[in-house]
Amino acid sequence: MDQPHDAAGPGVQQVMVEINLAVISTEALLKTCHWFSRDFVCEVRNRSDQIAYVVLTPRGSASASDHSSARDAFITSAMDFALREKIDAKTSGIRDILLAKAFSESGVLEDAPEGVFGDTVEETKPDGMFKILSNPQR
Amino acid sequence: MARTFYPLERFAPAPTAFHLLPFRFTRLSGKELLVNEAGEFLFAPTGTVQSLTDEYLDTDSELYRDLKAKHFLYDASSSPLLDVLATKVRTKFDHITGGTKLHIFVVTLRCEHSCDYCQVSRQTATRGQFDMSTATADRAIAMMMDSPARAVTLEFQGGEPLLAFDVIQYIIPKAKKLALEKGKDLDIVVCTNLACVTDDILHYFRDEGVKVSTSLDGPAFLHNKNRPRPGNNSYEKAIEGIERSRTILGVESVAALMTTTAASLDHAVEIVDEYVRRDFHSIFLRPISPYGFAIKTRHRTGYEMGRFLEFYRQGLAHILKVNRNGYRIAEVYTQILLTKILTPHGTRYVDMQSPAGEAWSVLVYNYDGDVYASDESRMLAEMNDRTFRLGNVHKDTRRTLFTGDPALQMFQASCNQALAGCSDCAFQSYCAADPVYHYATQGDMYGNRPTSGFCTRNMDVIKQLFSIIEESDRETMRILWSWVTGEPTIREVVECV
Repeated sequence: MDQPHDAAGPGVQQVMVEINLAVISTEALLKTCHWFSRDFVCEVRNRSDQIAYVVLTPRGSASASDHSSARDAFITSAMDFALREKIDAKTSGIRDILLAKAFSESGVLEDAPEGVFGDTVEETKPDGMFKILSNPQR
Repeated sequence: MARTFYPLERFAPAPTAFHLLPFRFTRLSGKELLVNEAGEFLFAPTGTVQSLTDEYLDTDSELYRDLKAKHFLYDASSSPLLDVLATKVRTKFDHITGGTKLHIFVVTLRCEHSCDYCQVSRQTATRGQFDMSTATADRAIAMMMDSPARAVTLEFQGGEPLLAFDVIQYIIPKAKKLALEKGKDLDIVVCTNLACVTDDILHYFRDEGVKVSTSLDGPAFLHNKNRPRPGNNSYEKAIEGIERSRTILGVESVAALMTTTAASLDHAVEIVDEYVRRDFHSIFLRPISPYGFAIKTRHRTGYEMGRFLEFYRQGLAHILKVNRNGYRIAEVYTQILLTKILTPHGTRYVDMQSPAGEAWSVLVYNYDGDVYASDESRMLAEMNDRTFRLGNVHKDTRRTLFTGDPALQMFQASCNQALAGCSDCAFQSYCAADPVYHYATQGDMYGNRPTSGFCTRNMDVIKQLFSIIEESDRETMRILWSWVTGEPTIREVVECV
């Protein structure tokens, strides 16, 4: 799956990490590369629509154990960014509502936000708080 | 006759479905640290985030109840509490309401010190053309009072502002009169090295309710090395000035700040002990600012952020030890961050705000009438870079200052919620953007977080604090809470009794 190689020249040990793009999106991969760019040059190569290789070339000197830990850290970080995408997908709507509500009532926003301040759970309940939470101007 | 009860389920039926609320996370101390939009946090076992995104969680578990209580998820019974979460978010961002509160008047560039790391392009003590004119002072006062903030702070800086004491005496009554007319509260602070303070000056400050903020870099050998002046007696002057100021103004009206130079790095303990010896109850372990003369002289005064962080670690450990031994002294940066981490509140400290405090929270009126987004912006200008010069008091209004190109370009890079590297960061709620710092150090207001000294410092310090919180040592947490609340520790109360 991944192995050190010395394509960058004698003495420069690179690490190649294979990424399944069905598990980790290109955006999550690039965010991981962004954070690793301090210590490594990160070169992303697409092998197919589903598989990408990331070649990590250390900017300074690094030992073999550094290579191993870099690989582990890169994969862990990429998986975490994939998780963050899932959280964002599930919560971006309510986050927008939350922030709009927080700042419209503080007088920071010049215009009242579009839509209502409610949520799907309350909407389904006939006696829920949805009506109270709704923007009375709408 | 035995009393019987309905089963628990009759009162609180277990929820069958839950929904996620927005949060960010990181891995720390072998656990997952979850932080929500309001900065509330929870240490959870590894795998919790995956379980949340899969919506596969035991709704009877303590972890579920904790996640619900801390607003990481909601179900049918907690849905109305979204209003509470919105209120908490609003409270965290309270610093963006009300308008600019801190107004810095650079009344002169003159100074009799010649510090290597000085952030200001000082002039010799006799060159009066670098003093603020009365016409400029009038316009700056008017602009300060145009701020919608109900309470404003007028801070005199330099150079050494006491060398232009006549300008200070001109400004204070005018500012007070206008504040009264506009119904504003006015605090006044003078930032001075105290080398040329006199009893007459201090009596004037006492009568006008002016507070003093001075510099104390550590013991004599360090302070005098950092702050050369004729006679090599900056330390002796500062200590004498502190004592006289306390006598005339009162202990609470005198504060001190230190700057960490390369020479300071090996002396964290001695610096803290100096503050204790001088009976200060707070100390701010500040790194050197990468602006002004500090850029020119960085080969003498500069250092890598890693070395500062080691200094900070040593300093904080010693401060905690001093507190455990019964002397109360708070580390200010820790106090600021813990307030953000442990309470619903944000901070008035302009360097740690998002949107960034520059212009929103602070404006600097230079001696020549130029207005800058922050003290650091003015220092860049002294190095001939006027990127953050918002305008001039003689040509602009508050509206034009805030809608000009320099301000708008800066504002675009002012929210860490929208910056690469910050938008996903678990510590976003506790951290800041600081476009001026990143422009000065990286040539780019947006900045590159993986190589940013600002990010390195905050990430490291916040992780240290979370590690302490997770360890949950009772004595340590009692001390830290006392810094946040301003309340005495139980030990202090017992000793008073």
